[in-house]
Amino acid sequence: MHPEPPSAPPGMRLPMPGVPTPLARLAAKDFGSGGPARPQFGAWLAGTVVGWGVFAGVLLFVSWLLYAIVRLCMAVGDLLPVSLGISQPIGTIVALILVLIMVTATLLTMAERKWSALMQDRVGPNRARLPLPGLSERPLKGIPHILADVLKMLFKEDFIPEGASSNKFLFNLAPLLAFAPAFCLFAVVPVGPEVTFWGKRIALQVARVDWGILYVFALASLAVFGTALAGWTSNNKLALLGGLRASAQLVSYEVTLGLTLVGVFIVFGTLRLEVMVAQQGPTQAMLSSAIRTGAPDGSLVFGWLPGWGALFQPLGMVLFLVAAMAEIKRAPFDTPEGESEIIGYFLEYSGLKSGLFLIAEFAEVVVVSGIVAAIFLGGYHIPWIEPQIARAFDGVFGIAGTTWLAVLQVFTFLVKMLLLIWVQMLARWAFPRFRYDQIMRLGWKMMLPISLINVAVSAGIWLWAGREGLAWMGIVEWAALIFFLALSAGAKASAEPGSHSSTTTDAHAAPAAH
Amino acid sequence: MAQPPDTAAHDERRSPGPESDLSFGERFYLREAVKGMAVIARHFWRNLLGYRDPNPEVLDRRGPGVNLVSTINYPEERKPYPPGYRGMHRLVPRTDGRPRCVACYMCATACPAQCIYIEAGEYEDQAIEKYPVRFEIDELRCIVCGFCVEACPKDAIRMDTGTHAPSVLSRPLAVFDKEALLKGPPVEHPSDVLTYRVPLRTVARPDEDRGPTE
Repeated sequence: MHPEPPSAPPGMRLPMPGVPTPLARLAAKDFGSGGPARPQFGAWLAGTVVGWGVFAGVLLFVSWLLYAIVRLCMAVGDLLPVSLGISQPIGTIVALILVLIMVTATLLTMAERKWSALMQDRVGPNRARLPLPGLSERPLKGIPHILADVLKMLFKEDFIPEGASSNKFLFNLAPLLAFAPAFCLFAVVPVGPEVTFWGKRIALQVARVDWGILYVFALASLAVFGTALAGWTSNNKLALLGGLRASAQLVSYEVTLGLTLVGVFIVFGTLRLEVMVAQQGPTQAMLSSAIRTGAPDGSLVFGWLPGWGALFQPLGMVLFLVAAMAEIKRAPFDTPEGESEIIGYFLEYSGLKSGLFLIAEFAEVVVVSGIVAAIFLGGYHIPWIEPQIARAFDGVFGIAGTTWLAVLQVFTFLVKMLLLIWVQMLARWAFPRFRYDQIMRLGWKMMLPISLINVAVSAGIWLWAGREGLAWMGIVEWAALIFFLALSAGAKASAEPGSHSSTTTDAHAAPAAH
Repeated sequence: MAQPPDTAAHDERRSPGPESDLSFGERFYLREAVKGMAVIARHFWRNLLGYRDPNPEVLDRRGPGVNLVSTINYPEERKPYPPGYRGMHRLVPRTDGRPRCVACYMCATACPAQCIYIEAGEYEDQAIEKYPVRFEIDELRCIVCGFCVEACPKDAIRMDTGTHAPSVLSRPLAVFDKEALLKGPPVEHPSDVLTYRVPLRTVARPDEDRGPTE
């Protein structure tokens, strides 16, 4: 070989004759920058801080916006010559169902992909671009993919399998039946307290009814019709399997779902969700007196613990969350979908009908998070500092402190809801899909007895020692859980992965040896 | 050890029973579930909040605050090829920008894919008498074996561009001509000195004055 010539600095261009062909221009792009890019800590730090600030700001704005939408609808209703008395319900439907649920569920389609990517050390989708001037080169963290997904589904062929053409009506009905209950469910979830907003009393809740939580149970079990119907009308063996699995699973977990909440009914003595939430923090009367006198939060249990449902019913909360995740067919309970074995009950659906099933699932995730947040995590209540906030903000811009507090409370509710959605997403990626018999065993042989015991023990303690007794029971349960987790975290040495697998094979081989 | 499978031990529906060495905590599942979720959560927050080490060479990303994503966003970021990588050809220029190639046809002869086409021209007045009028490589036929580089006596063709042939929309576009191939840092060898671009009449004629032949 030749001795290495003195090499030109990288990137040096020669005084070459001008490149005439497009191809030559293409080929001349070589010898670009050689060294690796340097991490830019400043940009990273600024981006993180600004990003979280913008996120919190948007959430705060949305909290205010929800009240504002309801108020706007009421103002429009006042303009009409006849008063139908439905302007506030319509306003809450628009604000909560159409804005909150729909937008959150839509964003969840993206979060499902991006959060999953983060949990798996991936980047996630970031290729779609908006064809707008100035944005066409920016990935915008993958947000345009939402639009791309929707457009893709809209323009897909609406395929109906041959066997389903005889009962096309039922085939088309199934996605609606899966979709509608998921949306209606949120009607009883109180997002914000009832406050005076621009001169009107507004409560951020669609339906304030006596049978609040029963409505949730009733509609949640309606969703199984859509699933089973989809499996059956598709005229496909695998879809039918999915539908059958779904109906069996949903019926099983319905029982646990109801029983886990009986303990909560005992504590709060009501089926109304807004009353449950109101009991977990200071009431409006307490707040207005606190604004005058500056008294601290009087609703704390033992004077220092926020009286959330999670305090009285920790076991109930865990069981309810698990049962609800099974009820909405999310991983690891997604055998009805089971895309690696049977494609799922929506196998034969295409286009936006398939999209309806997907968005229904996400809407159900949001609803479950909202219900758990309302019942167990104090709903819209901010722990400890609510009276102080109301007193501090009272009269700012001439607006009552409770109204300021209400916006912050809705913000708190949204944060809690997002946190629970995130927990469900965590569970999705932490656990492999349960086998069908495992789901049945977990439902009937573990969760049902435990929830029954929970009901019996809670009722007994309630009769014996009342609310504070149940609080003590909750504290003991939390302590036992944390102690159990902490204790066993130290005993990890005996469970090395290698030794574990080898000894299990030994255990399997041992009975055959003699 | 071919033995009849014990139906009890091989029943898939059985969970790890008392005979397995799982501890009570592991069989209780709750603790393992929480631990598993903690692992996922740790990855999530670290990837969400951590800064990205943009060095594509680093596959094992460690250190405080570094996220664990080792993806290289391909069209925008490229991992440099290893030094010995046989990339797309280039015709090595002299310092005046003309190719070193003397149109000897050695590369075209050595090419097993027969993808090199050369038309030779002649200088009237220079020490190096031949040059390629046309030098074309059909990048679709090329099998990137590097024989042409080995065969070249003048170090005039190299595969050190560190890129591969760009994608094209029609087959004729993949035939790279001399203008497209001629690029990159120029190369000079000490042995070039006497023969390099010296007009023929100024060169001392006797053979012993010539530099060592390459």
